[in-house]
Amino acid sequence: MHIPDGYLSPATCAALYGTAAPFWYVALRKTRKLLFTRLVPLISVFAAFSFVIMMFNVPIPGGTTAHPLGVGIASIVLGPWASILALSTALFIQAFFFGDGGVTTLGANCFNMAIVGSLVAWLVYRAVAGRSAITSSRRVVAAALGGYLAINCAALCAAVELGLQPHFFKSATGAPLYAPYPLGITVPAIMIGHLTFAGLAELVVTGGIVAYLQRANPALLRFTAPGAPMPHDEGQPAATSGWRATKPLWTAVGLLMILAPLGLLAAGKAWGEWTVHDFSNAAARQKIAQVSRNVAPPAAAPSGLERLATVWTAPFPDYSPSFVHSAALGYILSAMFGIGAIILLSILGDWIAHKVRPGPSRASARTEET
Amino acid sequence: MGAKHSGKRGFLERTTSSFVDAMEHAFYAERTARVDGLLQRIDPRVKLVGILALVVPAAASHSFAVILGLFAIAVVLAALSHVSFGVLLKRVWIAVLLFTGVIALPAPFVTPGKVVYHLPWLGWSVTAQGLTSAGYLVLRVETAATLCVLLVLTTPWTHVLKALRVLRVPAVLVTILGMTYRYLFLVLQSAHDMFESRRSRMIGELTASERRRVAASSAGVLMSKTFDLSNDVYEAMLSRGYRGEVAILDEFRIGRLDWAMLSAFALVSIAAFWLGR
Amino acid sequence: MNQINPNGGAPPPAFELSDVTYRYREVTALNHLDLTVNAGRRAALLGANGSGKSTLLRILNGLCFPDEGTVRFCGKPLTEESIQNDGFGFDFRRRVGLVFQNPDVQLFSPTVFDEVAFGPLQLRWPPDQIRRKITETLEMLEITHLKDRSPHHLSTGEKKRVALASILILDPEILLLDEPTAALDPKSASHMIDFLVRAKDSGKTVITTTHDLDIVEDIADECFVFHEGRIAAGGTPAEILSDEALLRTTGLMHSHLHVHKSGQVHAHSHLHRHEH
Repeated sequence: MHIPDGYLSPATCAALYGTAAPFWYVALRKTRKLLFTRLVPLISVFAAFSFVIMMFNVPIPGGTTAHPLGVGIASIVLGPWASILALSTALFIQAFFFGDGGVTTLGANCFNMAIVGSLVAWLVYRAVAGRSAITSSRRVVAAALGGYLAINCAALCAAVELGLQPHFFKSATGAPLYAPYPLGITVPAIMIGHLTFAGLAELVVTGGIVAYLQRANPALLRFTAPGAPMPHDEGQPAATSGWRATKPLWTAVGLLMILAPLGLLAAGKAWGEWTVHDFSNAAARQKIAQVSRNVAPPAAAPSGLERLATVWTAPFPDYSPSFVHSAALGYILSAMFGIGAIILLSILGDWIAHKVRPGPSRASARTEET
Repeated sequence: MGAKHSGKRGFLERTTSSFVDAMEHAFYAERTARVDGLLQRIDPRVKLVGILALVVPAAASHSFAVILGLFAIAVVLAALSHVSFGVLLKRVWIAVLLFTGVIALPAPFVTPGKVVYHLPWLGWSVTAQGLTSAGYLVLRVETAATLCVLLVLTTPWTHVLKALRVLRVPAVLVTILGMTYRYLFLVLQSAHDMFESRRSRMIGELTASERRRVAASSAGVLMSKTFDLSNDVYEAMLSRGYRGEVAILDEFRIGRLDWAMLSAFALVSIAAFWLGR
Repeated sequence: MNQINPNGGAPPPAFELSDVTYRYREVTALNHLDLTVNAGRRAALLGANGSGKSTLLRILNGLCFPDEGTVRFCGKPLTEESIQNDGFGFDFRRRVGLVFQNPDVQLFSPTVFDEVAFGPLQLRWPPDQIRRKITETLEMLEITHLKDRSPHHLSTGEKKRVALASILILDPEILLLDEPTAALDPKSASHMIDFLVRAKDSGKTVITTTHDLDIVEDIADECFVFHEGRIAAGGTPAEILSDEALLRTTGLMHSHLHVHKSGQVHAHSHLHRHEH
């Protein structure tokens, strides 16, 4: 997801540096106030850790491997602001020293991965985990979901940034000057890879590390879990046995991911997915009002929508299903469906493997410590 | 003695080989920075500002010729700094072609515009705009990447970091970057050793979920070690009087050659911007 | 109780610990410990591995503070509050230097040059003076050729010398060394021992922790034996080393079997040489 130099116009690069700057500033202020003299050693060492995590090849369901970002776990252990700094540091070194990602696009990459990633991961984690005990399996799922959504939001930002380039930045003859593909191509192309491979890698690593820390070092999880009962508190159960205990929750998530797209498709147009024409069509207007708590829609399509509607052009209109207006949405929905299926299938596969295997598995697989 | 991987490399092996790659890259960069070439002799601050002043027009320019010109300048600088073309080829040019080249490949077929060619069997049409667009992208990335690599290969990384001060980057961030770099190799080594020891203890295949567990718990162990390391470093810093203020001492001195090169960079950069607007 | 030389009008002891207790995660590392080290003396703290010697050094260096008891540095109390005070804090850090057991932790700067510059920069010396002192100190320890190197590529012996340089540049009066010869090859270890021998007439106070009995006579004028969280005994190196019973109960010495050229096999204490 690291965008190299030359893919984004100077205006886009500048805009994203400008957007990232206030976040960096706030992140520095907040972490300095929180960590004081610990700031430098903690952020530095964690940035080194993030860098190395990005090099991990994580085996994911389906038999292949992918690279995680580590933004999920950084955000959960350090909190979002320190995570922004740590990830940005790692990205800087990757870009300048190892040439992975551009220097003009560093602002964009930091915005997508370090800033959006950290904030999304943390918000989702806090929302889903609530006040559950530090060692509860709910936290593992919350962490995994946080990581998954974080990397996908980051990917979506990158896809949008790249997809807008040919629309706004063309030469006199109409040739795109920077990234050449419009939104209709960049969004599905990038999102499919992240909804599946990269997202799963992040999911596995984030959830897995939290599960490990619950057993080995729960104190590390305390910072982003204020008010949550600790394991040595009265009456708290000891850490759950990792993945196995989370299976019911994963099954629920998997089912949700399969049913949600189906639900959307069944209900007709999702709220907000209206086209420019719907605003002038009387029957459609009535439908919109019905699902919008009986507030009548404006008489004409909002001008912004009208302009943006031309931006989103389906690349291969012949292939889009008729009941889904935008093919890009169709791709994304299928990917979601696919992910849900993969999660359920892998749980099923795991269950079968346990039934089939005669006794305790090979000794090496049991050792968690190194 | 290791796991049987039925012909394809296991995930542990692939991860450790990328660790080794990173360490080798750093080692190589440290060596080339010591060679006596043109860029090596220039003050790091001039180099940083100068090379960035060339990267920006390369990434931004609307003129093909300008970008090509900047690429040519990069090649000349490389030659004058004794950076071998073989290295540039392997580390930059081919790598970029494999990545951006592949990404740009569909562009001639997908971009709307004036058709200039039809592929014989598939019947796909190639547009002029598509070709131009792909060309821009690949050339931009190649040029920018070459310039950045030149900076890194001719300057000790710690000097690049200290030079950032001239761009008004706060001292605390420069310090963090320096410390991250220093500990990067320690963490890489630690992760490498951990994976090697796991590999030597694995007999036979693991199931998919077991492999995921190995990956996750390796990451978990690494994180715990990272945390302990940060605590120890914190104490070591306190022990030397650290109270939160960072100060950076460099040994940079600007000479006549530096001023000359700075002017040269500035002229080229301004010309590139002007010609390519 | 463990004073070797009574004070009598001399400067206050470098360190004076009274009834110090320190607990960490259900382990009592220091248990009502008393210790006095006088200024200008070279002291060795002997103890088996894991006995808590490092914790004691960290307390002496003001990195952690006891749960009970008092620590005095040159007559003044060394507490979490007192070290926050700018005047006392800076003074303490300049006058007391700690060489950590793990050099990777101590060398946290990107290059040797930066590492040695760190201390003086914190004390806000003028830049030219710092550059000059760096050159001098590197020369003194014969590591000038390592100036621009990254710590990761140094050998353990080189790392320890850099660590020492980064402390010595400030010319502290009190040196704390945690297992200075551990993990060193024989040549580097002997360099380190030479350094500690020469410190004898320098007027510096040197406190070294070690479990290596072979070097104690060279590096120290007085020994304290550390056992179960307190000082079990104190005396000159000769006195301590000849007390076999003490050494055995505190885990500093063990018996093992070995074979002589003549074919005889018997058990020996690890320490003594003998002829047959």
